[in-house]
Amino acid sequence: MTWSPKLATGLGLAAAIVLFGLIGPMLTGDPATIRDIGLTPPGAEHVLGTTLTGQDVLAQLAGATRGSLWVGVLVGVMATVLSGIFGIVGAYAGGVVDEVFSLFSNVMLVIPGLPLVIVVAGFVPADRRGTWTIALVLAITGWAAAARVLRAQTLSLRTRDYVAAARVSGEKTWRVICVEILPNLLPILASQFVFAVVLAILSEAGLSFLGLGAANASTLGTMLYYAQNGFALQREAWWWFVPPGLVIALLGGALALINFSIDEIINPRLRDRARRKRDVVAVEAEVVPVDPDAVLTVRNLNVVYQAETPVHAVKDVSLTLRRGEILGLAGESGCGKTTLAYAINRLHRPPAEVTSGSVTFEDFDVLALEPDELREFRWVRLSMVFQGAMNSLNPVTPIRAQLHDVLRTHRPGMSTPDREVRCAEVLRLVGVDPARLGAYPHELSGGMRQRVMIAMALLLDPQVMIMDEPTTALDVLVQREILNEIKRLRDELRFAVVFITHDLPLLLELSDRIAVMRDGEVVEYATAEDMYLRPRHPYTRQLLASFPSLTGEAGALIT
Amino acid sequence: MGYYLRKLAFYLTALWAAVTLNFVIPRMLPGNPVDILMAKLQQRGGSVDPAARTAYETLLGRGGRESFAEEYLAYLGNLLRGDLGVSVSAFPAKVSDVIGDALPWTVVLVGLATLISFLLGVGLGAVVGWKRGTWLDSLVPATTVLSAVPYFWLALILVALLSSQLGWFPLNGGYDVVLDPGWSPEFIGSAIYHGTLPALTIVISSIGGWLLGMRNMMVSAMSEDYVLTARAKGLTDSRIMVRYAARNAVLPSVAGFAISLGFVVSGSIVTEQVFSYPGIGSKLLQAVQNNDYALMQGIFLVITIAVLGANLVVDLLYGLIDARTRDRSTVS
Amino acid sequence: MTTLEVRGLTKTFHKITAVDDVSFTLAPGRTVALVGESGSGKSTIARMIARLVRPTSGEIVLTGPDGEPVPRRGYRDHVQMIFQDPFASLNPFHTVEHHLARPLRLHGRSRSDVPRLLEKVSLTADFARRRPHELSGGQRQRVAIARALAPGAKVIIADEPVSMLDVSIRLGVLKLLARLQREENLAVLYITHDLATARHFSDEVLVMHRGRIVERGSSDDVLVRPQDPYTRRLAAAAPDPEARFRQGGQS
Repeated sequence: MTWSPKLATGLGLAAAIVLFGLIGPMLTGDPATIRDIGLTPPGAEHVLGTTLTGQDVLAQLAGATRGSLWVGVLVGVMATVLSGIFGIVGAYAGGVVDEVFSLFSNVMLVIPGLPLVIVVAGFVPADRRGTWTIALVLAITGWAAAARVLRAQTLSLRTRDYVAAARVSGEKTWRVICVEILPNLLPILASQFVFAVVLAILSEAGLSFLGLGAANASTLGTMLYYAQNGFALQREAWWWFVPPGLVIALLGGALALINFSIDEIINPRLRDRARRKRDVVAVEAEVVPVDPDAVLTVRNLNVVYQAETPVHAVKDVSLTLRRGEILGLAGESGCGKTTLAYAINRLHRPPAEVTSGSVTFEDFDVLALEPDELREFRWVRLSMVFQGAMNSLNPVTPIRAQLHDVLRTHRPGMSTPDREVRCAEVLRLVGVDPARLGAYPHELSGGMRQRVMIAMALLLDPQVMIMDEPTTALDVLVQREILNEIKRLRDELRFAVVFITHDLPLLLELSDRIAVMRDGEVVEYATAEDMYLRPRHPYTRQLLASFPSLTGEAGALIT
Repeated sequence: MGYYLRKLAFYLTALWAAVTLNFVIPRMLPGNPVDILMAKLQQRGGSVDPAARTAYETLLGRGGRESFAEEYLAYLGNLLRGDLGVSVSAFPAKVSDVIGDALPWTVVLVGLATLISFLLGVGLGAVVGWKRGTWLDSLVPATTVLSAVPYFWLALILVALLSSQLGWFPLNGGYDVVLDPGWSPEFIGSAIYHGTLPALTIVISSIGGWLLGMRNMMVSAMSEDYVLTARAKGLTDSRIMVRYAARNAVLPSVAGFAISLGFVVSGSIVTEQVFSYPGIGSKLLQAVQNNDYALMQGIFLVITIAVLGANLVVDLLYGLIDARTRDRSTVS
Repeated sequence: MTTLEVRGLTKTFHKITAVDDVSFTLAPGRTVALVGESGSGKSTIARMIARLVRPTSGEIVLTGPDGEPVPRRGYRDHVQMIFQDPFASLNPFHTVEHHLARPLRLHGRSRSDVPRLLEKVSLTADFARRRPHELSGGQRQRVAIARALAPGAKVIIADEPVSMLDVSIRLGVLKLLARLQREENLAVLYITHDLATARHFSDEVLVMHRGRIVERGSSDDVLVRPQDPYTRRLAAAAPDPEARFRQGGQS
């Protein structure tokens, strides 16, 4: 777990306030003692001054803090139990139970809570409004939001394979919920509990401030109620009305900070991260003797993830891509092939950093481009096709907008009808009906989406296209169609391709040259034919042996 | 079309639940509201004829003459006719008239303040998320604490500082009482002047939630592949931020509007009380303090209908900005 | 000898037929490969046999070593499943020990068998204390195999057991499964989209397309000499560098 400054501050502050509420009342004397000194500003005798009736504000504050915390915890526990029942149990049971529970939660969610609480409090005679009654009403009106969050999470956990595995093992339903699902919900339950406590303390304060709180209870809200009715504001007795609100705000802030840290635990993307000043460490422009046939030359490229322990993801890689050539980049997960591909286009994300080397495109160094020059280079000279076409397309706009975007940025002079014509043209090139321009990504099949991505990559006639596992997520038959399409387009339009995949047989069939990567290094770089017939590196041989042939001797692999 | 019909059906269900809750609560809780009301009515010099008593019994129960179901039907019938009973605190005004006078104040104040807060919070959140790792990150803990401040306490502090000390704003009220309510420029100016501080309170207290939610979603969206694609496409930063990252990141904020609106409405009621604002929140408290049960229930119903309506509008809007929802077959 | 027979198995989801009248038999010491693309219905069959999904019609009959049908309650002692994604099939919250000890206890065995189970899948006993995130993909899948063996099951459903693993360790896991199958005389259903491994690791192949079995037979017959047009297209679609270089194809 990360011990962030936010979490430390939040926990420290919350602990201090809880301690104050627990121990304070024992040290500060009786808050009810009335003195005939009236409203006194803070001084040596009374650190936070006195109220209109001469009661010590500090003593009142300690008692009120305890009262508010008690209500908060009470409501927090009850609301969490309710949200657990309606959220977790409903989602796990599924079917009609889930429908009914979820409808009930949603209805409770949209009915405004505080007005309802006020109405209920208004009907209950003041002498019968106890702390428990108020807590119960607050819990009943405050659990629904948490139930919705828990339901969504449970629905997702329920379909996990480890839940299915536990059922196949013969585990009983209650055990699956308690032992397999519940532990994984703990961070969310904790965060929802904290949230319920904050909400309860705030609501109770509001209610008490309006004079509708529990009878005889002493909370921060009742303190403010008396301050308001004692005209503390008009008498400028800030020591009377500022401290209770401040305690609520600090406690709420502390719990919110704790929640924030829990969010960061649940969702690692939110964790603090220093912003990278540059993506490329000042690299001395190397004059690379350029092969006249080369379109892209990578020389001694090094990429390092600058984490606590730096990870050298790409080590001294040198590659040459010739015009119209297909260069295959093979390797397993974590070998650095994707990092390399992104670094070529300077798309690598922090903390990755190019530490040395050069990327020469025709006759200029990509690593030395200024931001605007880089933007003009991207897609015009070099376009990309990514693995997950579903995630690579913006889910909320039609594909037309995403194709037009490219032309609007790089061909500012082009008219809208001309853009439309060009978009239709590239779609036809990849075998997609231009009528689908108005479709949203989710309305297309996986293969169709990947075709659209390729069409988008073709829009500006780039010299180079980088394809990162473009067919991995697709079925064999669709993969075959897309591969044939790529070969045909390459032959027609003569662009060069860097094709990245873990599937070595596919590269052997498709590429002109292949680089095999392992642990950031290119261990073998040869023509496809040499690599297939005369593999030199043991790792290449191991990879080749990992793909049994469909037509070879059967049963040879079982030893 | 299925999406819109489902949403409409859901809100009708919620409305029915609220109406029924309103009917059941006074019957389930201890005390005898009808007797209290009749006593009050007598003090005010109202008629104590049996008809008045029957009307209240339909609303609040303890009649004993009719069956529960008959009472429920009569209650629903009254609601449909817009008959919410007679207010005792503003006797002999009808509850619907009292609400009618107060409602525009609240709708304009809370509506505008919520809109400003939403736009400002979401806009700032998008920028803070996009510029992650810069000094803007320090806004996050600051707004976190701000969103935990009780509305009414913030209102007290603002009044103490800006009204009492500096005299920039009036202490309370919704308009200068010397003026006649109407569409005159003086009156509108006075209403804006009086409404600024309450609106400021609502905006300051609620902006943190929007900002934080948007910022977190923005950070998540920025590591999505479609943003990477947009960068690879060489689009300008502003275009990527608005059309790709923020466009997706705003969806959960809109979807979570229902939860947030509930907080804002709750906070506004108490805020109105601090400012003695002539809105529905102050009226609700006035009703509670005077045991004006008919008014109390009427106001709860009106607030609920307003909140449901606002949520319905937002849900319909959501269907417009996210095409995927319209095609999904199940209710989320 | 424990045998599982599937007769006329059919499953419809919201009027869409995912599995249509499928029959086959899993016999001890034999591996049947179920081959098809995503959406062909092969995982639904796995889930029906594992009793995670209820069939719309058809029956699954399990015959025990005594030749008598196994009653419902004892079903899970005999039939177990290995899931596709080893990153999802182990609960991140629990240790390897928990994952193995629970099925052992549920099926009346002692938890002291955990080291022996780990040894079976070529892992050392100290793995018991680790949590899933401390294991590589291959190690996780070995734990998942050990979990399937824990109840002493004789019928194993392996649903794409290696497709989420790195290519260089796939064969190792498949060889482990093949070894266990021989040693324990298991009946294995190997579900995959990869024709090549289906051919090398199975005795019989069933090809599925849109919920139906379109071709079945010995693995050599079906995959080397396919008759059905769909099987032919599948076989032709797999990347084949051999054609390019051995038979002097294009460069």
